[in-house]
Formats: sequence, C-alpha cells, structure tokens
Amino acid sequence: MKADLSRRSFLKAGAAGIAVKISLLPSATQAELIETPPRPGADWLSGGKPKYRLDAIAKVTGGKTFTRDYRARDLDGWPKEQAHAFMLHATRVDRVFDGVDLALLGDELKPDRLVLQEDLVADGVAMPAPWPGFYGDVFFVPKGQTARLLGQPVAMLIYHDFARYDAAKRKLRFNDKVVRYGAEGASTTPGPYGAARYVRIDGGNPDAEDRYSALKDTTIRAGFKGTQPQWPAPGEGDAMARGMAAAAEIEREIANAGDDVLVLRRSYSTQSADASAMEADNGNVWYERGSGVLHALIATQSPHEVAEMTAHMLAKSKFALGSIDLRIGYTVGYGTKDHALFPFFCVLAGLYGEGRPVRLANDRYEQFQTALKRHAFQMEKVMVIDRKTGKFRAMTGRYQNDGGGRENFSVSVGTVGATAAQSIYYLPKSDFSAAILSSRAVDAGSMRGYGTLQTMAATEMMVDEAAEALGLDPMEFRRRNALKSGMKNSQGAIPSGALRHAEILAKAEKHPLWANRQKRKAEFEAANPGKKYGVGYGHVHKDYGTGAEAALCALEFNASGQLKLSHVAHEIGTGATTSQAVMAAAILGKQPDETVFGKVRWPQMPLETTDEPYTLSQEEEDRRMANPRWTPSFTSPMSASNSVYYLGHATREAARALVELTVWPAARSLWSRGIGGGQMAPEAVRREDLRVVNGKVTAAAMQPLSFAAVAAEAHRLGLVTGITVHSFNRWQWAEAEFEVPGTGRRRFAIDALSVKYGDGAPAERKALMTEGGWHFVERASVFYPPAQRNNAGVTYYAPMATLAEIVVDTGSGEVSLLSHHSILECGNQIVPELVSGQIQGGLAMGIGHALKEYLPLYEDGPGDGTWNWNRYELPTSRDVAVWKQTAEVLPPLSDTDPPKGMAEVVMIAVVPAIVNGVAHAIGKRFYTLPLTPERIKEALA
Amino acid sequence: MTIPTKQLSLTINDKAVGPIDVPETMMMQDFLYEYLNLTGSRMGCGQGICHACTVVLEKADGSLEEMRTCITGAHWFAGRKIRTVEGQAKRDANGAITALSPVQQAFIEHFSFQCGYCTPGFVTGATVLLDQLKRNPVKREALEQVISDALDRHICRCTGYVRYFEAVRDLALKTPGLVKA
Repeated sequence: MKADLSRRSFLKAGAAGIAVKISLLPSATQAELIETPPRPGADWLSGGKPKYRLDAIAKVTGGKTFTRDYRARDLDGWPKEQAHAFMLHATRVDRVFDGVDLALLGDELKPDRLVLQEDLVADGVAMPAPWPGFYGDVFFVPKGQTARLLGQPVAMLIYHDFARYDAAKRKLRFNDKVVRYGAEGASTTPGPYGAARYVRIDGGNPDAEDRYSALKDTTIRAGFKGTQPQWPAPGEGDAMARGMAAAAEIEREIANAGDDVLVLRRSYSTQSADASAMEADNGNVWYERGSGVLHALIATQSPHEVAEMTAHMLAKSKFALGSIDLRIGYTVGYGTKDHALFPFFCVLAGLYGEGRPVRLANDRYEQFQTALKRHAFQMEKVMVIDRKTGKFRAMTGRYQNDGGGRENFSVSVGTVGATAAQSIYYLPKSDFSAAILSSRAVDAGSMRGYGTLQTMAATEMMVDEAAEALGLDPMEFRRRNALKSGMKNSQGAIPSGALRHAEILAKAEKHPLWANRQKRKAEFEAANPGKKYGVGYGHVHKDYGTGAEAALCALEFNASGQLKLSHVAHEIGTGATTSQAVMAAAILGKQPDETVFGKVRWPQMPLETTDEPYTLSQEEEDRRMANPRWTPSFTSPMSASNSVYYLGHATREAARALVELTVWPAARSLWSRGIGGGQMAPEAVRREDLRVVNGKVTAAAMQPLSFAAVAAEAHRLGLVTGITVHSFNRWQWAEAEFEVPGTGRRRFAIDALSVKYGDGAPAERKALMTEGGWHFVERASVFYPPAQRNNAGVTYYAPMATLAEIVVDTGSGEVSLLSHHSILECGNQIVPELVSGQIQGGLAMGIGHALKEYLPLYEDGPGDGTWNWNRYELPTSRDVAVWKQTAEVLPPLSDTDPPKGMAEVVMIAVVPAIVNGVAHAIGKRFYTLPLTPERIKEALA
Repeated sequence: MTIPTKQLSLTINDKAVGPIDVPETMMMQDFLYEYLNLTGSRMGCGQGICHACTVVLEKADGSLEEMRTCITGAHWFAGRKIRTVEGQAKRDANGAITALSPVQQAFIEHFSFQCGYCTPGFVTGATVLLDQLKRNPVKREALEQVISDALDRHICRCTGYVRYFEAVRDLALKTPGLVKA
C-alpha cells in the first residue's frame, strides 16, 4: 500500500457523512448465503465423521446453489420479470474511445438502456475504493480517452427480456466495428503500484538477535523512476537507510565471493494465468427506487467488502440508498472473486434497471477478458552457498510482477511473493525485493498461490541446480538448509510451532520413486526409445492468512438441545461449511441442527472498526483499544487457506467457551442431583476430566449426558445458552478477558463476546440482552498483537513436498506425468476427505501451471475477448496421472495440533518437481513456465 | 418483436414440455435456464469444451447419449426425450428427493466434488457410461481406461478428478454385470 494514501485518509475524505466503521452499512444491510434444501439429515455425522459434504445433496442433484443459478423469480420479494445486461469492452488502448455503434442491432434489438461513463459522472456514482486506485479511476472508458487496460468495459447494454438480450449479444460479439476508436491518445494506464524490500542479516547464529530484519527494524519502501524502484540511500540514519546498508553489505559479500562459495545467478519468468473458476462472474441486482433498497445477489468471496463499498460508491450519487440487501450463493473463485470489480458493475446494472432486477453474467470469453489474473513474474535470483558446508550464506531476489491496469492486490501479491522466496531454507542473510508494476494487461489480483507459487517454485528449481553444481545429493542439500523449529524467516519472525521439513525429507528420500529413480530411468528408457524418464522433487511451505484475520461465529441452543451454528464463513468449494460444523460437533458432541453461513449482519456484535489493521500506528491502536467495542478489523474475505485455521478458530473458541460457561456447570448440576451431592460426591471430578465420548459428556466416572440433557439443564438454570465470538489474528491471536455474569472473569482467544441467557435466567439478567436479543459483554481487558508484528510478513506455514515421475517425448516435446507422490503436513485434519480432495485439486492446478496454462499479457491476450478453453488449455484427467497419484499426510503432533490452511500450498511443490524431473530426464534446466512442447524441443535441438 | 421463433415440444425428466415459442437460434442451455428454470446443467465455456452443460438424451432404443446443451440449439431437441441432472434422483409428488441415483450416491460418498459446478456434467457423463457398460461390459483390467476415455472430456477445476473417477470405478465394480471377470 502506498504510504501516503492510506485507506483511512481516503475514507475520511471520500465518504464524508458516513461513519467509517462497520455500522456505516445502513442498518438493514445484510448479506447471507442462500442455501437450498435438501439438507443432510440427523445422521449426517457418524462417529464425528461427516458422511458427505454439508452441501453435497443440493450440489449433486442440480439444486440451485451457485449465485449463477438464481433469477429474480427465485428470490422472495423480487419482481418476477428478469432483465439482462452485457458489456462492450475496449480491445485497444492506443486510440481514444469514440462511442459505440449499435446500428447493427437495428431498432428492434436496441438496448432498453445504454450506460456510459458519462452517465455515472452525471449521476455522481463514485468508484468503489478500498484505497484510492484499487479498482482504477473509472468504471467505463470515458469518451475521448484511451482505455486504462485491455478489456476495460466501455458501455453496458440493458434489456428487459432475455430473447432480445441474447440475440443482441450474439450479433455484437467478436465484432470489432461496434466499439469505435478515434485518434491516437495518451496512455491512461496508471504508474507502478509499489515497491518493498525485506532485508535480514542474522546475529551470527539463528538464535541470536538479528542485526537487521523487517520485524526488528522495518520493511523498506521505494518510489519509482520509470519502472525502476528508487530505494533509499544506505546510511546509519533511519531504519530504511540502515536496511539499505545491510543490503549493500550483502551485495559486497556476493561481489567479493571467493572460491570457497558457489554464487549462482539465475533469471526466471512465469506466465499470466486465468483461474478459470467454472462459475464465471455474475450478479443480479434490483434497485427499488421508491424505498432506496438495493437488493443484490452477487457471486463474491468478499461480501462484506461488496456491501461496504457499494454504500461508499453511492454516498454522493443521485441514487438514494436506504439499505442494502445482499445475498450470496455458493461460489468459487480461487481468490479471483475476492475484491473484484465485477460485483460493482452488477450494482450499476441494477441502478440503471429502471426498477427491474438486472442480471449481469459473464460468458467465458468475457470472463477471460475481465476476470482477475495470476500475476506474471520476472525474477532475478542469487544464491550464495558455502562449498564446504553446503549451507546457504545468503540469498537475494529481485521480483517484478505485472499487475495490469488496475492496482487491486498487486502490491500485496508482490510482497507476499518476496517474503516467500526463501522457501523452506534458513538464510543467514537475505535481501528480497518486489517491484509491483502496472501495464495495459488485464488486471491481476488475488489468485491461489498469491505470489508464492511464482517465487517458491523458482527457488526450488534453483536449489536443485545448486545441489548439482555443488555435487551434493538434492535431498542432502535441502536437509542441511531446511528451517528447523525456532529458526527465523526472512522477515526475522519465528514461525509458529514445530517445523517438520526434516521428517518430510526423510520420507521423500525413502520413497521408491526417489530411491529407485536411476534404476527405473535406465529400465524405462531401454524399453521406450525416444522417451526420457525423470523424477523431480519440490518442497515448499506456504503461509496462510493475511496478518489481519477476523471472524465471527455464534453457537446457540434451545431447551430441547437444538443447536444452531451461525458463521461469517461461506462456501467457495473447499468444504469450509462442512468443516465448521464438524469442528463444533467435535468439541460439543453435538452436530448443529441448523447452520447459517455467509452471515454479515451481527446485531449482537456492535463493534466499531477503523479497518486499518496494517497501517494503524501502535500509539493510535493503544488509544483505540481502550474502547471495548473497537476491533482492528471486522471480518475477512473467504479464501481457501483461511477457513479451517482462522475461521475455524472462531468456531472452536465459541464451542470451547460454551463448554466452559455452559456444558461444565450444567453437567455438574445434573451429576450433583440427589442426596449428599449425588453421583458426583464420591469422585474428585475436575474440569480437565471433562470429555465428549460418542456424542455424550462425561468426566471421571460420571454418567454420560446427552447434549439435550445438558441443554435443558442450562436453560433451567438460566446459564449461558448462546455464544457469539469475534476473533482477530495479526500473526498471533488477540486475547481478552470478560466478566460474564455468574461465571467470573474468563479469558478467551477472542476480542469480543456476546452471550444469551437461558429460559430460567432472572429477569435482570435477561434485561441485559439488548443487542439483537444478546448481551454484548464488554471486555474487561484485551491484548492485541503489537502493530510491529505486521512486519513479520507471516508466521503460519503449512509444508508440502511432491515427487513427480515424468516422461519427456523427445519427438513431440510433450511432458507427461506417470505418477506423483506428495507429503503434506497440516496438523489435525478436520475432514481427511476434504484435505485429500484439496491435495488432488491443487496438484492438478499446479500441473496446469507447469505444463499448459498460459496467457499473453497484451494485445493478443485475453483482453481481446477471444479467449476460451479451446485456446487456454486446462489440465484434464489425462494430464494429472489420475489413477497413479498418491499422497500422505504427516500424523499430527497431538490431538491439540491445530488444523493448518493447506489449500494453496498443495498446488506449488508439483511445479518445481516437474521442472526438476525434466532436468533429470533430459539434462536441461528451464527457467520459463509453462514447459511447452516447443520449449522442450528447442532445448533438445 | 420479430425475432424468429418456432414452437418447441419435448420430454424432459419424463414430463411433456411445450409447445413453447422459442427463438430459432437459442441454445438449449438458455432454453433450460430462462424458460424452464432448470439451471442444474451449467454454462462453463459455451464452446462445447468443458461438458458442464451436458444432459442425457434418452433414445428410442433405450440407450443413453450425452449431449452438450451450450452448442446444441434448443430446437434440435424437438420431440426428443432428455434427462437433466434435476431428473436423476427419485422424487416424491412434491418434488422432494427420496433417493439419489447410484452415480449421485457414489459421488457424495466419495466426496467427489468441491465447488460442484461441474458435478451435473459428471453425473450425466457417468450415468451414460454406466448405461454403456450395462450393454457392453468390459474386462476388469480395461475399466480404468474406459472411465478415462468416457470422462476425460469433462473439465473440473477443483478436484483433480481423482475422487470422481474412483467413485465411478467403485460403482462399476459393485454393480453386477458391468465388469467381466
């Protein structure tokens, strides 16, 4: 993020009159997941294991589950007539936009409403902007100006019926005369987006205090001259100058390296890629002019942001906004539906629908043309390795990523990529920098891998080459350098918990694929002339989380023991909703009878937030946190890697709090019934004896109790019968103490709490339930991780290694996988079948990245509107060794080892494994992805 | 409005549909979505590549064929019988599901899908494959290849295909008469 344009200052300036806190959303604003029956029955969980996904029946029977499945007629309270819209896009950026020529449509197919940028200006519609420039400066290309990026929309056409919409769209599609261009015009593509640098020099050994690191000192930022970052001058002054002095020291060491070290310099490049989420972007919006209610059903991974930014977008417009009723269906995006601009085009469609619900839904060509892409990276890497010890002395990397014509999360992707570049290795000295550039390419943003796919894969390719150059076995080289528990990362932070790379290496080394690779190579090549056999290894670990992870979860039950789980999480395909329910059941011994996911409106949590978790100063944060209703962030977007650990933390904390405040006292009450203290009296029963066995609560020798029995007793006694928690993590959990009436002071790893009291609670206690029927318990004290911890970059990692057995056809140049084996460490698996599915799916996406998927960035790229899956090849079953792949997951350290976010790391290791396998097969190293047959043939020529 | 239309009648999920005036050039998937509110067969590419949009064509001889609705005009189906994913499970008079089809049951038990967008296409493809195996059983050693040949054309972006394919293999093996000794 640019230092001089913080989100806060913009919101202050740009949204005057609207409070900058979550309650800025009109009070009736809500966004909830639409769920379709049929739902699983009471026997869904068996022995703590789900028989199938919570959403399985609806999905397998073709029920309406995705946002894309819904029309106005399916939505309660909406008019039944559905209008439709599509957009026209600029396919060149060198000439000014001169209007659209719709003559081809004749009178009959003329749109019922044409929307241009000039309409938005006249009507006072602002760009949504998490920070200035995030989504660019304009929705549509203004007449007389050039497009900011290829594929930028120029106009929206709205039709009141489907038949005319369909016919008009077919007529205009691929017609390059419809969008008119005038004279050559000045470029309107924005300048570079940002630059950051992470320098570290250890204190002589891994345990000593660092001489310099981002965590201890600072992340170094730079402006630009052209496309070159202008780093601060080295010096002894402020932290950035000292950082540059440390960087210069590393540079001198490289320049003066003697024969005792290997200095390896390599350049790598990776391609732009499309997520190809099968549900293309879409939404359906109805703006009720009279009431000012904006009803919306939009496919998004970040519903809270969509609602918040919509309010901001319309704050000064002619469209009075009474409230927002945002609903969401299940969706899928692999990150590309998180903070995407498309939902706001859907809002525009609704605003100009003249009171009709308008549906805007990309076809696949449009999806390629406009959806967020994976960043292309250029990488210059240097490894400095002591030849005698085979250990790293230093590693440096200069990374450039192309964010295209809107900033979006490009800076974040670039910096996360830089901080991941060390991969699994301990580096006494390191200097990783990211320059995040702009271009006329389709904009890139959050997408599975998030920069780390690019930088870690390159490191693993280079490590393989370095081992060869050193004459060391690649596994041995990795073993000597792999991070051990307690060692610092390249930002100077100590990762969470045990680092188990050595275990993974030991397993991989003994695996038959690796152990027998030379013998198998000789046999295979003798039997298959013209084909070369190789086995490659890749070993990475991927951070999970964003450094500002916030979530909400509520658990409540009635006197019959019917349990309801409400959660901010929604379903993007990973099984997040299934695992939340399983986690609650594992702690409470009771599966939720009712679940509500994607919940945005939490009246029981009247929190206030500045929502600047990365930029707020410690001093300001200290001041703010004195307000017991303040939190650094209200909630996070859905991503595949944050559901089980971060969102799951809220579920687990809510369930644990319920055990503390409800289950234990209610069970004690039941066990104490009868004369002389009942069945409990003869035993010394302690809280730590409490167990859930076969769905029942017991402790020591106590009679197992059903949840229904406990619930009835809790209600009779007027105990806590509902818990809502808010959690926050900045590479460490916030914790707070609460005085819940009747329970004394309690500390939980949350920063806000609301409770409900049971039927038998005294009137004065029930009178406390004033926040939507809940009692918001103001915290008595709170600990927030220090703001400096933002510079840690990351502390949570999940590791994965993959062995890839590949064959190169020397005639065609094709690389194919015979088999692969992966080893993952992810703590306790909540639903092993979902973990296994993520591994298999991630591997397929990684294989596509390594071998097939490729987009040109500019004029012949997806912005031209002609790309689809005929040209952009996705991996099919034949590409992934569907019958021959295996995987194993390390056993957890104990039953308290937390579940780790693993949905991104699983796609990364296979990429270098394939490239290293090709090197084993044909003796050639590759530095550019994907490994197309042409590249292979060229190397073999 | 003078968009050329024709009347269309066909049988969908055992029910007679039509006659309905439908534009002559409309694709079947749009007819299913916009006219009949059957949105289970999903738009993926609009090019006939990904097979998320397929439905079962029930032929006169009782055999089944997989058809892509994104590249097949609605009127091609005139007078024909099809089954969409919504018609695979058994339902009661109120439309409530009473039993999943064997393919659907196998998919949910194997946790075959994640986002589930491609699932209707896989249900359709696997259903047609099992019908073909019923008519022409294959040897056990050929089973994996037969499944790959039948379903490779279906694109899934989430799962890596493994759990879909394993579910079909297990179902084929446990269903009498599909696999020869």
